[in-house]
Formats: sequence, C-alpha cells, structure tokens
Amino acid sequence: MTPATPLWEFVDITKAYPGVLANDKVCIRLMPGSIHGLLGENGCGKSTMIKTLSGVQQPDSGQILHNGKPVTISDPQAARELGVATVFQEFSIAPTLSVGENIFLGNMPRSRFGVIDWAKVHNEAARVLAEMDVDVSPETITGSLSVGEQQLVEIAKAVAMDARMIILDEPTAALGEDEIERLHQLLRNMRERGTAILYVSHRLDEVERIVDEVTILRNGCVVRASGETKISVSEIVSAMVGEDIGEHYPKEQNATKDIVLEAAGLATNSGVKDVSFSLHRGEVLGLGGVLGSGRTEIARALFGTDELTGGQITLNGKPVRFRREIDAIRAGLALVPENRKFDGLFFNFRASGNVTAASLGGLSRFGVLNLKAEEQATHDLIRDLEISTQAEEKTVNFLSGGNQQKIVIARWLFSASDILILDEPTQGIDIGAKIAVYKLINRLTRAGKSIILISSDHDELLAMSDRIAVVQHGTIMRTVDAFDLTHDDLVRASADTPQSNPKEAFA
Amino acid sequence: MKRIFDTQLIGPFAAMVIVALIVALTTERFLNPGNLSNLSLQVSIVALIAIGSTIVIFAAGIDLSSGSMVALLTMILAQMLKFVGIPLVLALPLILLMGGLLGLFIGLITAYGRIPSFITTLAALIAFRGLALTFNNGSPIFSLDPALEPIFYGKLFGVPMPFFYLVFFYVLAAFTMNFTKLGREIYAVGGNPSAAVLTGINVRKVQTTTFVIAGFMTAVGAILMSARLNSGSPNYGQTLELQAIAAAVVGGASLAGGRGNILATLMGAMTIVIVQNGLNLNAAPSSVQNIVLGLIILLAVGIDMWRAEISGLMGRMFGRPSSQQSSNVKKEA
Repeated sequence: MTPATPLWEFVDITKAYPGVLANDKVCIRLMPGSIHGLLGENGCGKSTMIKTLSGVQQPDSGQILHNGKPVTISDPQAARELGVATVFQEFSIAPTLSVGENIFLGNMPRSRFGVIDWAKVHNEAARVLAEMDVDVSPETITGSLSVGEQQLVEIAKAVAMDARMIILDEPTAALGEDEIERLHQLLRNMRERGTAILYVSHRLDEVERIVDEVTILRNGCVVRASGETKISVSEIVSAMVGEDIGEHYPKEQNATKDIVLEAAGLATNSGVKDVSFSLHRGEVLGLGGVLGSGRTEIARALFGTDELTGGQITLNGKPVRFRREIDAIRAGLALVPENRKFDGLFFNFRASGNVTAASLGGLSRFGVLNLKAEEQATHDLIRDLEISTQAEEKTVNFLSGGNQQKIVIARWLFSASDILILDEPTQGIDIGAKIAVYKLINRLTRAGKSIILISSDHDELLAMSDRIAVVQHGTIMRTVDAFDLTHDDLVRASADTPQSNPKEAFA
Repeated sequence: MKRIFDTQLIGPFAAMVIVALIVALTTERFLNPGNLSNLSLQVSIVALIAIGSTIVIFAAGIDLSSGSMVALLTMILAQMLKFVGIPLVLALPLILLMGGLLGLFIGLITAYGRIPSFITTLAALIAFRGLALTFNNGSPIFSLDPALEPIFYGKLFGVPMPFFYLVFFYVLAAFTMNFTKLGREIYAVGGNPSAAVLTGINVRKVQTTTFVIAGFMTAVGAILMSARLNSGSPNYGQTLELQAIAAAVVGGASLAGGRGNILATLMGAMTIVIVQNGLNLNAAPSSVQNIVLGLIILLAVGIDMWRAEISGLMGRMFGRPSSQQSSNVKKEA
C-alpha cells in the first residue's frame, strides 16, 4: 500500500536561536497514508520543527524534498499551496464568526462580482462537515461550540483546502474521551485517502493507539525513529527522557478511614445535580467522565465559586457554607484550576507573588506584608519542589508548563490547605513534570491531606486515585475502588451515550 | 528598598534626564531657580492626580473622570467658602471626602455593575463637567479665601509646599503598592482577574478601592487648583485626565494592568512638564505643545512595545545574544 517515495522528506534540518540549538540535523520522512508521531519533552525542538514545516520560519541548513524534489517553504502561504495544513495547539479560529466563515477564512469563495458567494460557503462547508461526520451547522457561531467541536472546525479548514499533509500540534489536549475517538476516526479516514499526518502529542496512550511510526526528539536531535515496527510506551518514555524513569505512576496508598469532607445532594445552577460523596484523609478521589460531564462544575460548587442551590457540605463533621472562594480557602480547601494560564497564574509576578497570592492575609500584619517571610518561603518551596531557580528572579511567563504548574500547587502548600482539588493537573506538561506532580500527590497524601483529582487521562486517573467517582450529566453515577476498574470500564462508564448502562459497565 | 527602586525605573528616569538635558542645553532660562521652583508647582497637580490614575491602571482599569471631577470639586469648594460660609478647615476635609465618595460611586458602578471603566468614567467625564456648570449659573467664582492661596504658594524652609505634598503622597503610594496586602491585590487583579478570584481575592472590592483612591487624589488636585487661582471654575482641569494617564504611560505602566512602578509615574509627569516648560520658554504655541505631548506618549508606549526588538537589535549591534529573546525561544520550543 505504501509507495516507496515519501511525500515529504526533511533532511538534516538545523535551526539555531541565540543561545539554543533548537533542531540539530533532524530527519523526518512522511509517507502518504501514514500517521507519523512526533514526540519529545517540552523544549526538545518539536515546535521549532513544526514551524519550519509550516513555513513560519526558515531552517538554517538542511533540505526539504516534496515528492523527491527539493523545495523551499518560504512562508505559510507557500506551505498551503504545497498542500500542507497546520492545526496549531492554540486555536486560530475567530469565535464570533460562523463555522462556514471560519472554514473558508482567508479563502472565501467569491462570485463574479467579487462579493462573497455565501451559498457556496455554506454548501461547501456543509459538504466538508458531512464528509467528516461532524454534526454542526455551517451557520453556527463558532464560539458557541464546545472546545472539542471547535477543534474539529479547525481540522475542517484543513480538509476544505484538500491538504495532502496535515500537521496536528497536540490536537487532543482539550478534548474528552469520546471527542478524541471521533478525531482519531477522522484521522484514520484521512489516512485511508492517502493523506500524510504528522501528529504531535503528550498523551502517550493515544499515540500508541493511532500512530504508525514515530520520531522522538531530545535536545533538538532525533534519538529514536521507528519505521514499520511498533514501539511501546515505555520505550518511548525512556527515549524521550533519556533514562529509565522507573515507575510511570508511583502511586502510594495513604488513604485512611477518617472522613474529612462529605457532600450530600449538592446542586447548582451550573448543572450540578444531587452530588453526594465522601472524601477520606490521605485519599485521592478521582472524578472520571467526559469533557462537559460536570466535573469542573462540581469543583466550583465545592470551592464556593458557584452558589449551591441545594445540598450540604460537611467538613470534619461540621456543616459549612462557602459564600465565596475565600471562605473555602480559609476552611482549608484549595483549587488548582484546569487552565493554569487563564485561571491560575499571575504572569506579572515572580514565583513569590504567585506562591503567596492565596495567603496574603496570613502573610500580613495590619495590612503590611512580611516580604522577608515571603522570599524565604518561596525560596524553600522552589528548592523543595525542584522548580527552576529562575522563578525567583523572573516573572513566571518565562517558565516551562511543568514549572508553572508546580508553582500553582506550591501556592496551596504555602497556604497549608488540607483538601486540594486538582483539575487536570498534568495537562500539557511533559512526562518528567507529570511524574513530579504524581510524587507531589503522594507527598501530600502522606502528610494526611486529601485530594480530589479530575483528569481526562484515564490511565493517570486509574493509577493515581484510590477511588473513582464517575460523573455524568452533572451527577456522580457511582463511586468504586480504582483497583476494580479497568481503562475500558472507565471509558464505557463515562461515555455519554444514551444506551450506556452504568451498572452493566461495572459488571 | 531593592523592591521599590527596581529596573522599571531606569527607563523613565533616563527619559526624564535626557529631556531635561536637551531643554537645559537649548533654553537659557531653564535652570534659573525661579523656573525650577515654578516647574515643581506646575508638575504638582498633574503628578498628584496621576497617582490615582496609575493605581486604577495597575488594576487594569482606566480613569477618564479626573479632569471634570477637578472642575466640579473646585466649584463645590468655591460655593462652600463663598456662599455657604463653611470655614476652610472644614471645607477642605469635606472636599477630600467628596472626592473619595465620587470615586466610590464610580467604582461601585464599574465593579458591581460590570460596566467597563472606560465607559463609566467617560460618562462621569461628561456628567461631572455638566454638574460643575449647575453652580453659580455656570460662572467661575473668584477670591474665595485669603487662607487658601498659601496652600499652593506657601513655602517651608524655602521650599514650595507642593513639593512636600508630592513627597508625602508618593512615599505613601509607593509603600502601599510595594509593601501592603492592598498593593499586592491591586497588581494581582490587574495581572489576572480570574486567577485573583480563585485565590480568594475580592476582586470587585479591590477595583472599587482603586477608584476611591483616584477620587481622593483628584480632590487633592482640585484643592491645589483652587488654591493656585483662589477660585473655582467649571472650566478647570480640561484634559487633565489625559495628562495624568500620559504620565502613567510615559512612566511605563502597562494599560493591560498588573505592571508598572508608581514612582515612575512621577518621572513620567516630570518628563511631560519639562517638555511643556521648555516649549513655553521658547514661546511655542499651545498647538505645538499638544502635538509634542502626543508624540511623547506614542514614543513611550512604542519603546515599551518594541522592547524585545530593541534589545535584539542592541544584541546584534554589540555582539551578544539578548537574554529575553533566548528565553522566549526556550519557552516555545
């Protein structure tokens, strides 16, 4: 099936920035009808490679062959003309425009008089969406769609331009399990039609599921490339990190019998209905479910962000009522939000301002801050959590995602919270940083703190939780020991299909 | 101290010194003691009001109301002194209180009514000017109180009084912004309001507080304005709000909020006033003064925006890689 000539061949691509050799003689061949994984930790040179392939920048040296002939990709427009479409991690859709407009953005079909041919925009967009099996009207305003659907619109742009090669940069970072499955099906269909796909992801479980061959980068060099042979996740991980990292999920059992928090019949206007569960000291309670099932809303209800319209939270045996976030924080709760960029970090502060933000009251006397104590505590936490020491002097926007996430968690170590709600704590950070977060979870539970873990990475959720509560339509369907659950059980149990029967899923 | 006198002050300070040097070299009378003393009088009103404008900007808001509020408050002060017969010692605290209350009113509508401050303070800019005109049939009120003028023109140890107000309020503001919980919360709200909510900061209260501070500082400015001219007028303070915002921007405050140093605003105000003074001494018409002010604002913001490019250019010129660029690359790679 696979022809001998690669569609694209990149030979000895080298790119240096001041002070960094981002790509060092990287070679990648992309075959038509094949999904090629590009893997590596943050900072390994993946983004640099993608920018070169999509014409955003020029390599310092090296050769690019298209169907065996040397070409230059001088700019993104040239890449498009050569049939290369790139779906970047940060969406490039206009939320206020319709789906059809977005699909043809920059390339609107015109009638003879130079005005936009709206009938054609909508018909063509509808055809592309139908071909992709996406049930969205071309006239829908894109911003009103779910994140997953917006991602599909983004890919529809590539399909509409009839790309021969599609580059996907972490396409599933914001997607739930069923949306990932839809995306994968779509990619398989495109593969059938002979499209070459370059797939960049941090989620190794899905890489294993969908990718035909992989190239692994470390420090700008190719450290491993597989041709026809499959390679396993553990091989990938050790190639990426450069050493054998031991246990991928270093789970400790620290749960005790004491109940610290009990929720009974919680309800909010944001869709939480009759949520009841208990949380033990030292326990990790996982919330499983698809994107939009209500896990984040449950977290918001617990944290006093969304007002309770019903139900009761009991903390250490005493009923409590959180009118706003500060009440929850004072009672010992903490929330590490899903989106650390938008809801977690203060990019105008160094590590110190970020670490103490939730404890300014305790840090000050008569309104005056104890800056010495702040610097000292930050210094200790940076050393303790192995955060880059740059964080002491520079604002946190200069740090990697893993370091940034550690700083958000450090905030709640500093505030000495007892119950931490971690919403997608390892999203978009590399494998080394993920393991650091897992070890941090262990350390917290060992110290008698309790954790509510929300994660779309099912392997992670299964491995790191003591018990798992499956969330569907804003309510907890069932709570079970993580030990009794397999990956498939969890996927089936949380799948948002009408015929799914939660009882059967656990049978 | 390291905290207050950080690197953010270097740029605005250098700009001020360069502008002062240029004016001093081209204009004979600039360094006369009389002119320098006049300069400190000139800068005082805009620099005091700019404290409030800057703090509002730190919290990612904008205050367009201060110029009109000055006019309104001078008219109320004049009314109280001249026609109601309230003694000066009582009238002055009342004006300060009113400034704070007007700020509170704007702040509450902005923060709790969830209307952008650009709109609420634009409405206030228009409405306060109208309110000022309802007093005394819209005519200025002169010769208010002989005890009023020394507040502006008086001297202590030979130094003009406004100098002491500047020192007092800037030290207070710098202390608040750098050493207190409130200051930290203001920067946090300006830096990332949704993160501030999730760390338990009462974002609306903090936003409201910045407008109370702005209103209070505007009242201080209004009192000095009345004292300077011993009068109240509905026409006072035209474009003063823009000069105050310009001082903040020339001082490097980011209009996106969360970044900037309050002391740099004083330097920004000085830079603007020195340029105006230089043009005045050279008998430049006010049209030219306005054009130059516009160009200064553009240049100041431009330098801030193009910082990465400028440091990259310097790096290439002097053969060393710029640290900012390479760390950006690492982050993205």
